[in-house]
Order: sequence, then structure tokens, then C-alpha cells
Amino acid sequence: MPELIKSTYRDQAASLSGTLAGLDSLRDKAIDRFAETGFPTARDENWRYSDIKRLRGQAFAAAQIQSDARIPDAICTTAARLVIINGHFDQERSDFGDLLQAISVRPLANHLMANSERANELRVGREATSVLNTALMRDGLVLVVPAGVEIDDPIEIIHIMHDAENAAAQVRHLVELGEGAKATILERFIGDDSAYWMNSVVQARVAEGAALNHYRMQMDGSQAIHTANAAVSVGAGGNYSACNVSLGASLARFDAQVRLLVDGANATIDGVALAASRQSHDMLVHVDHRMPSTNSDQVFRTVADALGKSSFQGKITVADGAQQTLADQSFKALLLDRTAEANAKPELEIFADDVKCSHGATIGELDAKAMFYLMSRGIDPTTARQMLVEAFTDDALARIDNAAIADALRNQIKGWMMAHVPNTSGKDAA
Amino acid sequence: MLTVRDLRVSVENKEIIKGLSLEVKPGEVHAIMGLNGAGKSTLANTIAGRDDYEMTAGSIEFDGKDISELEPHERVGEGLFLGFQYPVEIPGVSNLNFMRTALNSVRRYRGEEDMSAAEFMKLVRTKAAELKMDLEMLKRFVNVGFSGGEKKRNEMVQMAVLNPKLAVLDETDSGLDIDALKVVADGINAQRKNDTAILLITHYQRLLNYVQPDVVHVMIDGKIIKSGGKELAAELEEKGYADVA
Ligand SMILES: Nc1ncnc2c1ncn2[C@@H]1O[C@H](COP(=O)(O)OP(=O)(O)O)[C@@H](O)[C@H]1O
Ligand SMILES: [Mg+2]
Repeated sequence: MPELIKSTYRDQAASLSGTLAGLDSLRDKAIDRFAETGFPTARDENWRYSDIKRLRGQAFAAAQIQSDARIPDAICTTAARLVIINGHFDQERSDFGDLLQAISVRPLANHLMANSERANELRVGREATSVLNTALMRDGLVLVVPAGVEIDDPIEIIHIMHDAENAAAQVRHLVELGEGAKATILERFIGDDSAYWMNSVVQARVAEGAALNHYRMQMDGSQAIHTANAAVSVGAGGNYSACNVSLGASLARFDAQVRLLVDGANATIDGVALAASRQSHDMLVHVDHRMPSTNSDQVFRTVADALGKSSFQGKITVADGAQQTLADQSFKALLLDRTAEANAKPELEIFADDVKCSHGATIGELDAKAMFYLMSRGIDPTTARQMLVEAFTDDALARIDNAAIADALRNQIKGWMMAHVPNTSGKDAA
Repeated sequence: MLTVRDLRVSVENKEIIKGLSLEVKPGEVHAIMGLNGAGKSTLANTIAGRDDYEMTAGSIEFDGKDISELEPHERVGEGLFLGFQYPVEIPGVSNLNFMRTALNSVRRYRGEEDMSAAEFMKLVRTKAAELKMDLEMLKRFVNVGFSGGEKKRNEMVQMAVLNPKLAVLDETDSGLDIDALKVVADGINAQRKNDTAILLITHYQRLLNYVQPDVVHVMIDGKIIKSGGKELAAELEEKGYADVA
């Protein structure tokens, strides 16, 4: 990787010195680590399916504050709508509703200003993208839901990228749920057609008996790179439930690391990726069962059209002594064209003997028999394909407990099918 | 209504239908009987437009129109219906959504307005009751977890909802107990009108006790080797295919 890129990022990190209280030493550590490793190559297991030439080949500038981006309409009733444009929190255009009466929501800078010690809770991260995020983070939101507080409506965080050619947003959110707290976070990502890089890290802590739903709707612009990491820890009887729907960007990675730290911690991590021509969608999940009686379940469904690529790497680790662990993982990919590609790499590392872990991965095409059956009832091939794709992706949306969000995601999937899947008949496709 | 002339069909380059002609007029019920492997399902699927069945010769006319170049869904729009020997399970798609999409697709093909959800539910409720199909089953995924008999009754509900001009029913009677057979036969008879026609494919005479055919054809090795009145079915039952042929 060219030295110029590393030194550009080092300069960017240096220019941020002092901007976030207590963070400088972590930044230094992160930029040093990044300088050592640079971006990975395809030889790196975790990156083998991602083509990150563009990240390796150019330094992205810091995306600038923008005020004329359009805020998309809400897709459901929300508790608050928090707007981040080009990686900068836009307080004026955000709508906090009544949320601040129940929980604390602060920009990262204010959070650290109030107590710079809390910078120690920020993680450097493992992957190069997370490490660089640590070195270059500027803004983000810190949501603290106090013990026992339940927020029913989703808290929407809208990330918009606008006029950000060759620029990057480095966003870091922290989410903390106290004992027995409940919240739903809906992250949306949209952007224009500029060639930007959205790099997001979310750190979440789910305390004993708390429940966090984390829904992501990734619709970044067609030239964008989207890399996201969710680092989550779950306490006793707590639950983390995620669904990541990935439609946008030319290269999209969602990497979830979930640690089940105490007995009875649960996680469900689901996702849908739709890869159209020249899009590459990667989803990586690592669920780490540290203690006994922890449960996890993953359902991932991906669809790839001509020249599209979808990849899944799912790792389940069960620590020595983490007995009575239940872990299940299901990955299915649907290829709509001969030039579409899907990859699956399930991995189990189990050091306890009394556990139930299973995984399944299949890669296939649309069922020709089902297509003919639908068509033999008068349904045209385009609609028939849509119905089958929707039925296929629905598996991964089943756990979304907010009907409006689930419907909005279904509509996006339908829209994707209409936009990307050519109006081919059963005859031409065969 | 349906005119098949000198039809030849190959599947994976193997000729299965070897010169078959058939004429079904409005108001008629024809039965095609033949042993397993005779090519009955191949004929039914070819009429419905299945794309991996290659028509190498002949023609299929429906209502005076050559339909051999039409896609399966267009043939349904023209008024054709195929009841499957093996109805397909489609996880994730509910029966009701499936039938409503189907009905509205056909209506659009004919330049008609969509049917409202309320009207549709009324129609399905009536048809399901006639065929003794539990409405709860119709809320489930298409044919998933249905018994053989339930699948066949589901085919009949779909036929009743789509109300085709010509129904080609491929072994709709197989795998049914006597009660289910009577229900299905009632469904078929209800579809029998002056301006509709039915092509029953079967290899037992049993169904024909409940649905009286006007014409019976015997099919062996991709050809109709004999046609006659309903007494031909009884003769087949008695003497077997070898002797009738
Ligand atoms: N999809 C297919 N691929 C290959 N051979 C087939 C296929 N469908 C039918 N055949 C063959 O065609 C012949 C006729 O089958 P079919 O039409 O199912 O007969 P029937 O319905 O009268 O029992 C059989 O020899 C069968 O093996
Ligand atoms: Mg057959």
C-alpha cells in the first residue's frame, strides 16, 4: 500500500488532535497500528471476498459538513430522528421528540467533554477499517438508556452522504442499555452518486435483562464504499437482535462481533443482501459464546444478480465451559444469473462438549418448478420472480418486531427487484 | 376449443409425444387414459407451455388461436388451466396472496380491473367451502405441509377461483380417498358448463364414475391409439391396456 496514503491518514489524525477529550492517545495508538498493517489484501481471511482496491489505492479526504442534503421521509413512527450528514451530527435538522426526557443522547464530543475518562471505553478495533475509524473518528452519537427504561418506537439514525467525492465519513456511535432497558435503533444509510466512503463503528453494551433491536437499512450511493462494524456485548438474560439489509454501495461490508458474556445472554443476527451488477456485499458475523446457556441464531439470505457478488462468513466460537450453548446459523444465497457469485464460509470453534451448534449454507438458483407453477396460474415471470425472491428474503426479516420497518424493508427489496432484475421471461432465462 | 394437431414433443432430446391429435369442443369432457410413462403429463405440461418441453412439430390451437408461442401465464390469460399431478410447494408465499396475485394477473391480461380484497375473500370463501377446504389452510404457504389430498383440493380451489375455459387436470384423482374423490369430482362437475371444456388425465377409471366423460382416449407411447365413448373406460378396466390396444 502506498506510503502516501498512510501519511495522509496520519496527517488527518494529527489534525484531529484535541478535538475529542481524552481521545488523543487512543488515536495515536490506532494510527500507529494502521501504519503497521495498512489495509488488508485478499490473502487476509476476513477480506478474501472483498475487493478493496479502492481503499488501498487512494486516501479519502475527510468529508465536510453539508447543510443542503435532503432528509428522507420516515418509514415508521419514531421516537427520534437523528441526522448525520457526511459524518457530522446535524443537531438542527434532527428531531429528538420526547426522547431526551427518557434517555441521554449526546454527540460524541459532548459525551467525552463531560468525562474524558470514558474515552477508555472506546475500542481500537480489530479490522483495519475499524482501526482507522478509531484514528479518524470525528463525530457520532452516544445513546444511554437508563436501567428499566423502555423506548418502544425506534430511534432512527439517518446517515446521509452528499457531495462527498473521494471523501470519507468516520462515524462512531456508542449505545448503552442499562439493566432491563429496551430500545430499537434503526440505522439508515443513504447517499448520492459521489464516490465516498462511509465507515461506521457501533459499540453497544446490553446489560442484564436488557434488549436492543438493531436494524440497518443500507442504501448508500452506487459508487460508495460502505464498511460497518458492530461490536456488541450482551449481559445475563440480555438480548441483542440485529437485522442488516444491504442494498446500496458498490462495496458493502457489515461485520458484527457479538460477545455473549454472561449466562443466558442471547443474540439473533440476521441479514439480507441484494447485490446487483458490480456490487459486492459481504457480511461477517462472529458470535462468541463466553459463558454457559447462551443462545445465538443467525439467518442470512442473499441474492445476487448478473455480475453481483454476495459473501457470508459466519463464525461461532464456544469457550471452554460454556455448556448448554445453543447456536444456529443458516445462510442461503440465490443466484439470479450465471455470472452472479456467492460465497459462504461457516466456521465453528467449539471448546465445550455439551452444546448444540449447527449451521447450514446453500447456494442455488430460483426454483424452476415453482416459477412454472406460479406462471401456470397466470402470474407473469417478473412478478413470479419477485414473489419467490421476497419469500426467500422474508426468512431473514421474520424476527423484526416492528411491522412498519419490516414492511419498509420488504418494499425496498421489491423496489430492488424491479430496478435490477431484468424483465426476462422464464423462457429467456432458461 | 382445443385443437392439437400432429403434436411432437421432445424432452431433453428424447421424443415423448410422437404425433398426437386431439379435438375438444366447448361443453365436452374428454378423458385421456394411459399407463405410467405414456406421456400424459408431458402432453398436459406442453399445452400449459412448460419451457423445457420442446414442441418439434404440430400445432396447439386454443379458441381458434395458435397458443404454441405464448408463455404459460399468457395461456392462462386466454383461459387455460393446468391442474398439476404434483402440485409444487412454495415456502414463504401464502396461498391467499398467490391466488389473489394470480386472479388479478389474469384480469389484467384481459384488460379488466383488479378484484378488491373484500370481493376476492368472498369468492375464495365460497369456493373453499364448496371444496371443503379449510380457509385456515389457505392462509398457509402454498402446499407446504399439505397432504396429497389437500394439495389436489387446493388445485381445485385455484381452478374454481380462476374459472378457466379449458381445464387440463393431470391425475387430480390420484392419491385421494373416496370422500376426497367425490369432493374433487363435484368441483370438476361444477366447472362443467356449456362454454367450458375439461381434459381429464388419469390412469384409473375410478374418477370417471363421478365425472362422466364424453370422449375417452387411450394413450400409449406418446400417441392416442384409440378413442371412444365412456364405455371405453370400462373396457380398459376390464381387459387392460394391452388387449384394448
Ligand atoms: N423433465 C423430464 N426429463 C426427462 N424425462 C422426462 C421428463 N418428464 C418426463 N420424462 C419422460 O417422459 C416420459 C413420459 O412421462 P410422463 O409424461 O410423465 O408420462 P405419464 O404422465 O403418462 O406417466 C417418461 O419416460 C419420462 O421418464
Ligand atoms: Mg403423469
